[in-house]
Amino acid sequence: MENPELLLGIPFVLLGLLGLLIAASLFAVPAEETAGGGAVGAHAMARPHDAHPTPSEYVVIGLILAMITAVEVALYYIDMEQGVLIPTLLILSAAKFAFVVLWFMHLKFDSPLLSRLFATGFFGAIVLFTVVMATLGANLV
Amino acid sequence: MAMHAPAAESHSLETNTGLDNRKLLMWLFLASECLFFGSFIAAFLLYRDRNVVGPYPEDLYDIPFTSVSSFVLLMSSLTMVLALSAIQRGNMQAMRVWLVATALLGLSFLAGQAFEFTEFWNEGLSLDQNLFGTTFFVLTGFHGAHVSVGVLILLSLVDASWRGKLTPDHSLTVELAGLYWHFVDIVWIVIFTLIYLIQPV
Repeated sequence: MENPELLLGIPFVLLGLLGLLIAASLFAVPAEETAGGGAVGAHAMARPHDAHPTPSEYVVIGLILAMITAVEVALYYIDMEQGVLIPTLLILSAAKFAFVVLWFMHLKFDSPLLSRLFATGFFGAIVLFTVVMATLGANLV
Repeated sequence: MAMHAPAAESHSLETNTGLDNRKLLMWLFLASECLFFGSFIAAFLLYRDRNVVGPYPEDLYDIPFTSVSSFVLLMSSLTMVLALSAIQRGNMQAMRVWLVATALLGLSFLAGQAFEFTEFWNEGLSLDQNLFGTTFFVLTGFHGAHVSVGVLILLSLVDASWRGKLTPDHSLTVELAGLYWHFVDIVWIVIFTLIYLIQPV
């Protein structure tokens, strides 16, 4: 084989397929909900919509996001070990991501189906990212 | 935390999922966009440090400037969600103010990106100069194109509102525009960290 190192990607592909299977299982509607097409709609219609945050709560979340960004930039200028800096930056970025998706995009309050739909695409992207980085030898640093 | 239920969403729809199909389609589109941008980010990280010739990322990046741009886009998400909250409360005037504010913040971000691109170009970075240039311009260019489309959508909503074609009954339309706008913001959150702040040693 011309590039035997590509074989290292196989476990990641399998991991990706496993991830997609898990995502697909999250999608599956429970049997009792699928018994009769109208039953699903009736069930959903009976479920009250969760309330959304108030404008002042949105402002608080906006301030939190601004503060996290300030911390990120400050960390960039502090002389830190890469092993500490990179995970910290990734965690802060993930926190901002989660705040926007859950609160501003209302996934925290909307139907779980929408969360599952988005999670499938998001984790699909993570799998794609991991496979590309692992098989083609890229590094974050 | 005190919550309020949006007036226009107090009823569910008679679909198989109980959700409006337009909203479902928007989330499906956003899920596919994750893969779209995930591919470009992976390509950037793969090729960033495989340049034969310069200029290199560390020679060009202006982190304070990009931080301000990131802050501007982040705050545009706040104004967007306030616009949605306003229309859900039936306050059309407030909605227009917040939508215009969001569009202006988006335009500020685009102006910053145009300035950054011009600076990089003047330093010798182009689409075909090296692999960093190719992947950087493609990734951030596509993101900028998404922001531009978002600004056009926001301005068209403001226009529709002025002409009386957007009423509190159409809060879902603003919500869908908001979902798109917030997605553009979260993509930048990832780009800012992975592309700008985490540098190769």
